[in-house]
Amino acid sequence: MKKTLAILLSAVMMLGLLAGCGSKTTEQPSTSGTENTETAALNVGVFYYDYSDVYISSVRSSMDEQLKAMGVNYTNYDGAGNQAQQTDQINTAISNGANLLIVNIVETSSPDAAQNAVEAAKTAGIPIIFFNREVSDDVVNSYEKCAFVGTNAPEAGHMQGQMVGEYLLENYDTVDLNGDGVISYVMFKGQEGNAEAEARTQFGVEDANAVLTAAGKPELAYYNASATDKYLVDQGGKWSAQAANDYMATILPEYSEANGNMVELIICNNDGMAEGAVSALQGAGYNTGDGKTIPVFGVDATDSAKQLINEGKMTGTIKQDAEGMASTILNLVSSVQGGGNLMDNTSSFNVDEGVAKIRVPYATYTGE
Amino acid sequence: MNQETNVQEKEARVRQPWTAQRVGDILLNNALLIIMAIAVVYIAIKNPNFIKPASLINILSQTAAYLPAALGIGGCIVLTGTDLSAGRAVGITACISASLLQNAANMANKMWPQIGTLPIPVVIVLAMLIGAAIGCFNGFFVAKFKLHPFIVTLGTQLILYTVLLLYVQQGNNKGMAISNLDPSYTGFVKGSLFSIGGTPIPNYVLFAIVLTAVMWFVWNKTTFGKNMFALGSNEEAARVSGVNVFGVTVGVFALAGAMYGFTGFIEGARIGSNTANTGLNYELDAIAACVIGGVSFVGGIGKIRGIVIGVVMLRLIFVGLTMVGVPQDLQYLIKGAIILFACALDMRKYLVKK
Repeated sequence: MKKTLAILLSAVMMLGLLAGCGSKTTEQPSTSGTENTETAALNVGVFYYDYSDVYISSVRSSMDEQLKAMGVNYTNYDGAGNQAQQTDQINTAISNGANLLIVNIVETSSPDAAQNAVEAAKTAGIPIIFFNREVSDDVVNSYEKCAFVGTNAPEAGHMQGQMVGEYLLENYDTVDLNGDGVISYVMFKGQEGNAEAEARTQFGVEDANAVLTAAGKPELAYYNASATDKYLVDQGGKWSAQAANDYMATILPEYSEANGNMVELIICNNDGMAEGAVSALQGAGYNTGDGKTIPVFGVDATDSAKQLINEGKMTGTIKQDAEGMASTILNLVSSVQGGGNLMDNTSSFNVDEGVAKIRVPYATYTGE
Repeated sequence: MNQETNVQEKEARVRQPWTAQRVGDILLNNALLIIMAIAVVYIAIKNPNFIKPASLINILSQTAAYLPAALGIGGCIVLTGTDLSAGRAVGITACISASLLQNAANMANKMWPQIGTLPIPVVIVLAMLIGAAIGCFNGFFVAKFKLHPFIVTLGTQLILYTVLLLYVQQGNNKGMAISNLDPSYTGFVKGSLFSIGGTPIPNYVLFAIVLTAVMWFVWNKTTFGKNMFALGSNEEAARVSGVNVFGVTVGVFALAGAMYGFTGFIEGARIGSNTANTGLNYELDAIAACVIGGVSFVGGIGKIRGIVIGVVMLRLIFVGLTMVGVPQDLQYLIKGAIILFACALDMRKYLVKK
C-alpha cells in the first residue's frame, strides 16, 4: 500500500511540476510564436550575462515591462556568468525559432565568444543586438544585422573621477582623517580584462587627481604604498559586493584611525562593490548615517545604492540609465518588428562613426 | 447488496497490492527513462520546435560536450569518492590547449609568440597528460593518506585555481581571455564531417562517442575496471583478494583527469574564449549527471549507460525548460527538484533490496 501511495504521490508531484511549467507559460508572453500569426511575429531571445548582477536586473525589469507593452514574444536567459552556458542557450534559442537575439555577452576580454554568437545568428539569418557589455567594432561590422547598445566605457570612469575630485575639494579636511594633507584611497575593480572595469579603474583615479592637482592639492595616495597594483579586483570577475566586502573587512583591522592610516576614500567600479564596502565599514562603526562617514563612490545608480546615498551612507554614483538602455534596445527591436533594419530610427541617438554602436549617456547621482 | 460490494471491493484491495507492487517495481526500476519520456513528450507537445532536427542536434552536441567529464568523475564516485577539482582541471587544460593553438598570423594577441601553433595531436596528448597528472596527484593523496576525496579534491581545486590565475597572466596574455584560436583547432573541434537534416553535427560529438565506447570497455571488459568496482563495493574484501588498492585508486583518478583534459581541449575551442573562470562548476553538473544516472555514492554501483542518460537528462532539463518557456528564475528550482526527485526514486531500488 505504502508503495502504491509513494508512486501515486510521485506521479502527482511530477504532473504538478509539469503543470506548473504549463500554467506559467500561458501567462508569459514568452511562449513560442504559434498563437501569434502576424507576419512580423517576433520571437526574441534575451540573454543576460548574470541575473545576480543588480544593474542587469534593473535593465531586465525595464526590458520585460517594455517588451510586454510592445506585445512581443520573448524569452529571458541567465548566463550565470558562464560563457559556456550562454553559448548553449543561444544555440538552443535559435533551434527553438528565435528570430531576434539580444545578447549581454558574458566574455568581454576577447571578441571570440561574441563572434561565435554573431556567426550563429548569421547562419540563422536573424538580427543580433549586443548590449551593456561591449563587443569589438570588428564583431559588430562582421554582420549587417548586428548592433551594439551600451555606454561609452571610459565616460563612466571620467565622470566618476570628476565627481570624486570635486567632492574632495569641497570636503578636503573632513575626508583627510589623519590630517596629513594626503587622501589615501582604495579602488575596487570588478573584473580583470573587462574594458569598462579597466577604464573605470584608470580614470576614476586619474581624473580625480587631475581635479585635485589643478586646485593645488596633492594626488590621491593608494592606501597600501607597497602594492604593485593600485586596485583590488574581484577574482571571480563578478563585480560582487561580497568581494569588496571581504577586501574591506580585511583592510580595516590593519588600516584604522587608531593607527593613523585609515583608508579615507573608496572608489568602486560598480554600486554592488560600493555597497559591499559600505557594509564592511558599517561593521567597523562607519557610514551608519550619523557619525563618521568614509566617502564611497560607485557606478550604476542602482536603487539600493541611491537609497544608501540618500541616507548619507554612501557618497555618489554614476547613473547608468537602465530604462534608457532598455528603451534604446527596444527602439531597434521595433524597427525590426516593422520590417525594417536595426538602425533605421536611430538618428536621435548618439551613434559611433562607422560602426552600429549606440551610446546611452551617463549622469552623476549624489542624492535627491 | 451494499455490504456485498463492499466485501468485493475489500477483496480486490487485498489482491491489488501484488499487482501494484509489480507495476511499481517496473515503474521504479525505469523511473528515469519514464520521466525522460514524459518530459520529452510534454515539451514536444508544448513546443514542436523541440523535436526538430536542429534542436535534437543541439541537445546531442551539448550532451557530447559535457559527457567526457561526467564519464571521468563517474569512476571516482564508484570508488565512494567524488572529484571537486574537475571544473578547474577543465579550465586549466582549456587555457593551456587554447594558448598552444593560437593563430600565428596574429602575433600581437598570441600568448606565447615564441612557440608556433603546435600540431593538434600533441596538444590533445598534452592536455590529457596534464589532466592525468592532476588526477594522479588527487589519487595519491586519497590512496596514500586515506583522505576522503572530497577533502583532497577541495584542496586541489583551490590549488589549481591559483595555477590557472597565474597561467592566464603569463606570456603576452596579461590576464586577458585566451582566444584568437587557430582555424585548424576550431575546425577540428567544431567543424563537421556530416550533417543530418541540413544541420551539421560537430566533430566533438564523434569524440564523445569514441570516449564513451572506450570508457565502457575499460569499465566492463578490463581487470582494471573489475578491480575498480570491487574496490568501490568493499575495500577490505578487494584488498584481501589481491587488488592493488593504491594502483587502482590512482589509476581511476588519473583516468578521470585525462577525461577532464580532453573536455578542456574541446571546451577551449567550443567556447572560443578561455579565462580563469572557464570550467567553473563543471564538476557539479558532472556529479549531478552521474548521480541521476544511478552511479551511487554508496560505491561499487554504476553503469556507463546511466551516466550517458544522466547527462542527457540534465541537457533535456536545460533545453526543455527554456523551450516550454519556464522563466529562468524558476529553472534552478526545477532543476534542483528534478535532481532530488530522480535520485530519490533511483535510490529506492537499493533501499528495497536491503
